Amino acid sequence: MSIAEKMAANQKQVAISEFFEKNKHFLGFDTLNRALITAVKEAVDNALDACEEARILPDIIVKISKIDNKKDILQVEIEDNGPGIPRASIAKVFGQLLFGSRFHAIRQSRGQQGIGITGVVMYSQLTTGDPTHVESKIAKEATAVSVDIGLDTRKNKAIKSNQDRIDWGEKVHGLRIRTTMKAKYQRGRQSVWQYLRMTSIVNPHADIMFIDPDGEKHHWQRVTERLPGRVEAIKPHPKGIELGQLQRLCSESTESRMTTFLRRTFSGVSQRAAKELCEVSELEEKLKPKSLSAQQVRALLEAFQGERQLKGKSVKLLNPPTSCLSPIEELLIKKGLSKTIDSKFVTTMTRAPSVAQGNPFQVEVGLIFGEGMTADKPVEILRFANRVPLMYQQGGCLLTKAIESVDWRQYGLDQAGGRGVPKGPAAILVHLASTNVQFTSEAKEALSDNETVMEEARKAMLEMGRGLRKHLEKQKKMGKTKEKFELINDIIPAIAEKSASLLELPVPDLAASITKIMSAVIAETTTTWNKATKQTDVHITLYNYTSRARSYTMLVNWPERQGASMVNNNLGGRKEAMGVWAWKLETLQPGVQTVISYSLANLEKGDWNETDVFYRGSQEVIGATKMDEKLLEEIRRQEEALNAPLPEDDNQLDEDESSDDDGVDESETSASPGETMQTTLFGGDY
Amino acid sequence: MADRKSIEETKTALHDVVREMYDRIVKGEPPTMTLPVRTKNNIGFDAKLGVYKYGRKQTIRDATSLGSAKQLLRALHVIEFIESMIDDGKSSTLREMYYISEGWGLGKFQSQNESNNLAEDLEIVTRCLREDFKLRPEEDGARMIGNLTLRERNRRGEWMRINARDDVGDSGYGVPYNVEAEKIEFLEHDINFIMAIETGGMFDRLVENGFDEDFKCALLHLKGQPARSTRRIMKRMSEEWDLPVVVFLDGDPWSFRIFASIAYGAIKTAHISEYLATPTSTYLGITADDILAYDLPSDDLSKKDIEALNAELSDPRFADGWWQEQINMMLEVGKKAEQQSLAKYGLDFVTETYLPEKLQALGL
Repeated sequence: MSIAEKMAANQKQVAISEFFEKNKHFLGFDTLNRALITAVKEAVDNALDACEEARILPDIIVKISKIDNKKDILQVEIEDNGPGIPRASIAKVFGQLLFGSRFHAIRQSRGQQGIGITGVVMYSQLTTGDPTHVESKIAKEATAVSVDIGLDTRKNKAIKSNQDRIDWGEKVHGLRIRTTMKAKYQRGRQSVWQYLRMTSIVNPHADIMFIDPDGEKHHWQRVTERLPGRVEAIKPHPKGIELGQLQRLCSESTESRMTTFLRRTFSGVSQRAAKELCEVSELEEKLKPKSLSAQQVRALLEAFQGERQLKGKSVKLLNPPTSCLSPIEELLIKKGLSKTIDSKFVTTMTRAPSVAQGNPFQVEVGLIFGEGMTADKPVEILRFANRVPLMYQQGGCLLTKAIESVDWRQYGLDQAGGRGVPKGPAAILVHLASTNVQFTSEAKEALSDNETVMEEARKAMLEMGRGLRKHLEKQKKMGKTKEKFELINDIIPAIAEKSASLLELPVPDLAASITKIMSAVIAETTTTWNKATKQTDVHITLYNYTSRARSYTMLVNWPERQGASMVNNNLGGRKEAMGVWAWKLETLQPGVQTVISYSLANLEKGDWNETDVFYRGSQEVIGATKMDEKLLEEIRRQEEALNAPLPEDDNQLDEDESSDDDGVDESETSASPGETMQTTLFGGDY
Repeated sequence: MADRKSIEETKTALHDVVREMYDRIVKGEPPTMTLPVRTKNNIGFDAKLGVYKYGRKQTIRDATSLGSAKQLLRALHVIEFIESMIDDGKSSTLREMYYISEGWGLGKFQSQNESNNLAEDLEIVTRCLREDFKLRPEEDGARMIGNLTLRERNRRGEWMRINARDDVGDSGYGVPYNVEAEKIEFLEHDINFIMAIETGGMFDRLVENGFDEDFKCALLHLKGQPARSTRRIMKRMSEEWDLPVVVFLDGDPWSFRIFASIAYGAIKTAHISEYLATPTSTYLGITADDILAYDLPSDDLSKKDIEALNAELSDPRFADGWWQEQINMMLEVGKKAEQQSLAKYGLDFVTETYLPEKLQALGL
């Protein structure tokens, strides 16, 4: 062997571990804290992806324990209830870098980030010399496989040892991984705890248990039984393709005609478009794709990108299908946020899918606001790409920039100069679902700039901001009403009593002074979850503090479309429109109060926290909004339009009624025009 | 006003406040409390009394907002509390009243500042003194050394005769919070003037050097911004014994304000200025020209100092030529100095050189 050959062979032999060593920072193992997060992340992402594919509701347990404090050696154990890995595949999954189908399929998956679990096995071996212990059970086998996996870094192959079959008792399928590594457990914004917390927010269907090194248990419970929608793999879109990729697709193609090749290999290419693409790239339709020269491939790419045009126009391509995306959807974001952050107001927004450079994507945002969070600090930003938390490089990320580009002052948050991360007792969630998430670097922690995505994210924020503003305005109004009530119900009577007792005179009648102080009709509304009945109770108390009798029609919004039903309605009333109920109050005598009360059944806790009250009548009602009749008309029209194909909707409801949680979820998250309409009327806050 | 109210007069005055609220409710109107505006804008010089007093501007606090309504309710609780103290022969500190208000439910105070302000409001409206209300301040009064004799009624109601030089230790006679005639009577003295001193360090220096005996004077330690009882005892001694008061403070804008409150009356207590202020008192030092004349160690004026001096230039209490000159000079020099900077020339310099020279200039 020549020296050159020897050197080349050597180079290859050390390549993988050296590559790992040199690129630690890209691979997420550059610091002892980050290495631990990455290890947990790789395992948990895999577990979630596997469960999703197998349609299993994930139960995940993560346990970190100290092995050697002085040397920073930790043991990490991760267990899931996923489908498990067949014995024959274990060595490949854990022992071969860059193994996996995800690099080829075009669809949204968590796993496209990171180098996979093999990186963890390698890191563990490099820092402790120990193999990683794996147990896996698949449903059709009676026992689980137990094996220790090490790496032959020269051959990029797994070394198996201690292989055995063990009994798992009740558990039908799943995966257990136990590994030791040099790592540090830290708390705070960049920690395993934060990663799991964020993961649980965007995976409300997962149950995650975390046992930290101090033995403390953190449990994020499942809040929905609904699995994320099935995602389909799609063909690449001409707009999203690069030269190398196109060259490979052509050379690997077995098609005999260019037009068939174009139609079958790509999405968004019709027969006509295929012909036109051939025309502008000056290729014969019956040409074999395999035979294309480099120059011809380049010409085709130029046609794809609209650089070659037909009569001054680029070839019209259809958008790629968006079925490959799996948004979390508004209600589930709301539930995810509510369970991890204990606060009152949540508003969410899922934009319709869109396409950037041939890649389908969808932006979702959520905002939670209220007490329990610090008011004078920047809001917490929760960034996600394809349901994976992004925890580093916040400042350089497109999603952060989208937040910063909004003037939040107009929506009620503090923001110096109307730019930058706003301050206030709030957390903002941004999720980008896409088949091709573009990162600023291999570290895959920040999304790179993209005008189309930025614009979508911005629009979503603005809409969400309007919801927040409405909420705050309402809060302020309610606060004022509350003050007035305290004034006349508590303070004025106390003044009357005390002054009378000091002067040894009879307590004077208060009615006249109270009318003078208030001189208004007031509505006080409470919406509360009743633990005992599992219903949402609504009370509207109306007081007439004017000197004349009044007559009103009072109206409320309620989640009729979401499957709720109205019970114990004391005053009856009538349906005004879909989701709008009305009561006609003929006479409201001066100084007298009237109570409207009802309960909403078939809802879960947190589904309905605020009721909007409207009135029809000449005199203002403090605590209620004057009914906009035009909007009401609009709701009725929407309803009529919707009523035609309704039966299908009903069937779905019936089917799901067997598991009671599900029924509500299904109906609430199925987006419908009627709901969008209500968003405009009631501020989009449910 | 300076004449004291009897128990009955106090009760009647308080009942008038209650009556205003009650009558308004009976009339079907929101209850109210009427009182003078308590800001700089409503302070004017009373030529007859020689002090600054509140003007005619009035404000009506009515119960149409939650905040004001709570104020009215608190006032009623305070009045009830005062009445019960009068009836039981008890007294309490303002701080105690603040804590007692914990039991007043909706009428509870949110901060002690609120309760202090309300006590002052009631003084103003009823033209009574807080001593009439059996309320006393938290801050202790000054200490005093000098050859003067007074008698003070102790807790057992017995009169004690005290000579403020022979019957006291080095810390001097402690001025009680109530210095009215029912508590203190002045008997005799052998002094020519009263000297009020800002800092404890300087007070102790003069005591150690025997300045009170050498110069036949009473030394009074102000403890910074002087308490009401401190200002009141100066006023009584000066009036009843016809003695001049000289004020010896640090040389900075804040000392000027202390002097203004002693000589002309403070804004917060302008309703009782004629009762607390001693218009005949004189500012001895440290003056702005002392800093130059004695070449005293000094500090640069801070931003806040300069703001305070500029505010004083437009304060009616500093309108006369001498003050304008002093303030402008301090601004020009840009320096301030402490009393104790005189120690630059030795421990005895203040008693042997500085004070004698300054007093001679005043003809004392």
